Amino acid sequence: MQYSQKVLDHFMHPHNVGKMEDPDATATEGSPSCGDQVTVYLKVDEEKKVIKDISFLSYGCASNIATASIITDLAKGKSLEEAKKITWRDAMDALDGLPPVKVHCSVLAADTLQTAISNYEIAHGLKEVPDFSKETILEELKKIIYPKVGEDIVSLKMVKYVGFNDGEVLIDLNMMSFDSWRDNVAEEIHEHLEKYPEVKKIEINFP
Amino acid sequence: MRPGEIYLDNCVSSPMAPEVLEAMKPYFSERFWFPGSFVSTGESTNEALSGFQDIVAKSLGAKSSEIHFTSGGTMANNIAIKGIAMAAKRGHVICSVVDYPDLLTNAAWLEKQGFEVSYLSANDKAVIDLKELEAEIRPDTVLFMTTAVNHVVGSIQPLKEIHEILAKAPNKIFFHVDAGQAYGKMPLDVDEYGIDTMAISAHKIHGPQGIGALYQRKGTKLAQLIHGVKRVDNLQTGGLSIALIAGFAKAVELTFDDLDANLKQLRELSDYLYEGLKAKIPHIELNGAEGEGRAPHNVNISIDYIEGEAITMMMDMQGITVATGSACASQGLKANYVLMAIGKNHVQSHGSMKFTLNRYNTKEQLDFTIDRLAGITEELRKRSPLYNALKNQEK
Repeated sequence: MQYSQKVLDHFMHPHNVGKMEDPDATATEGSPSCGDQVTVYLKVDEEKKVIKDISFLSYGCASNIATASIITDLAKGKSLEEAKKITWRDAMDALDGLPPVKVHCSVLAADTLQTAISNYEIAHGLKEVPDFSKETILEELKKIIYPKVGEDIVSLKMVKYVGFNDGEVLIDLNMMSFDSWRDNVAEEIHEHLEKYPEVKKIEINFP
Repeated sequence: MRPGEIYLDNCVSSPMAPEVLEAMKPYFSERFWFPGSFVSTGESTNEALSGFQDIVAKSLGAKSSEIHFTSGGTMANNIAIKGIAMAAKRGHVICSVVDYPDLLTNAAWLEKQGFEVSYLSANDKAVIDLKELEAEIRPDTVLFMTTAVNHVVGSIQPLKEIHEILAKAPNKIFFHVDAGQAYGKMPLDVDEYGIDTMAISAHKIHGPQGIGALYQRKGTKLAQLIHGVKRVDNLQTGGLSIALIAGFAKAVELTFDDLDANLKQLRELSDYLYEGLKAKIPHIELNGAEGEGRAPHNVNISIDYIEGEAITMMMDMQGITVATGSACASQGLKANYVLMAIGKNHVQSHGSMKFTLNRYNTKEQLDFTIDRLAGITEELRKRSPLYNALKNQEK
């Protein structure tokens, strides 16, 4: 497996790394048990709604550090509206690509940035706390990467059915029993959905 | 530093001794002959081969005729495990959850063939529980297999006690040992431990890659797995490089001529490394057994609050090769199964570093390694939200 030179540069010399004192918003995504965790800190110009400063902390591998570094570069100086459009694909492209098994790092970095922006907007009355619905589940599933090819499971049409009823999530996944990534994808789904208090139970079915 | 200049991943492969290369050279050129009868070329190879068998046999307290050369440790494990099982046709097999993948993948295959397999648990030092072994033995148990020195944390299994338990069983239970990490790292006498079959390889003791051996106790029946013309060995039929065998024998001589001194040197180096790491890096812990309970070449530590792939990559940029049990560095994105099985949590597994030493490593190399790892740890901890949270708590 090879990393691009840009990944190595950002890993060895990350930009905007370090804890920020008195941030206007912050978010932490991932968990140590999954091997990666990112925290993003924001300082926002309240009048212009522009990200004045941004920094991150990362517990994770080289690509985790590199994707967090590049996401802060992409967001710095942008308006909140512009920054909200930054996706994991932008981060990955800016790093000249990632090995397929490492694409999930890019998702985590972008996700953390978006949660930090969302936390800012909620705290400043710019938006309501979104209701949890089937849409929320679908949005989360779009963040789950099939490590074999480095694409998300929704784009790959691996999600056949999503149901949500009374706290219970039901997902049908089109992954064969001999697919060695099945446990990994199922674990990722649990990790992404269990953070919502509305989710009481998750059932994943395979063919 | 050049890439791999300080190589501390010798459990995978160790540098070849210069004497080994010299010993192999004639067999690559003028003495390229396979064994044979009634012709001087073949006869001279017979003689040489017999001498190489003697050398390997002596290192194990075995008879020359009990040594089969194979294309490596994995081949030896397969010939023995499948050979015993297929000869028995059916039955029950015992191994443990911390065994080397050679054993676990063979066990999984045997299950598919209709064998029942019991997987013993391991304690926090990766050592199996003898009472559990006793309890798992059944009238139809045909094979017990173990990894003499654990490939991740270096713990040594109680081979003598295992043998005593197996010997008490009313039925014959074959005792197979994967000694990939143990050979040359501890005395291994096949009679003392009652071993029936054992796999060893050359490249972990400064021999060439691509050659190993299987010890097969006289009378141990193995089903023939590899069919073909017998050139060098009757179990692994077909051609085997005589040059590699010559190199293997030389490596065995170099290791076993003064095994005690070799072991003492490795133990001193690994103690030196561990003490240095403890002194220079806060928040680390040893994984596996301490002192005599672990092989002398293995130091496995967990560095809290940071992740192993990032550490190994930064070490690599300094010319130092080490291994990690981090999920991020594994092909399947899974935390190391041995560390998880012995009760380590994900963070300890992700932050684990495995150093395995060879006899050419020097204290100067280890000083450099400790110094660089201390710096890398400090840098990565500055970036870590887990370490920053700890520092906040301490304030």
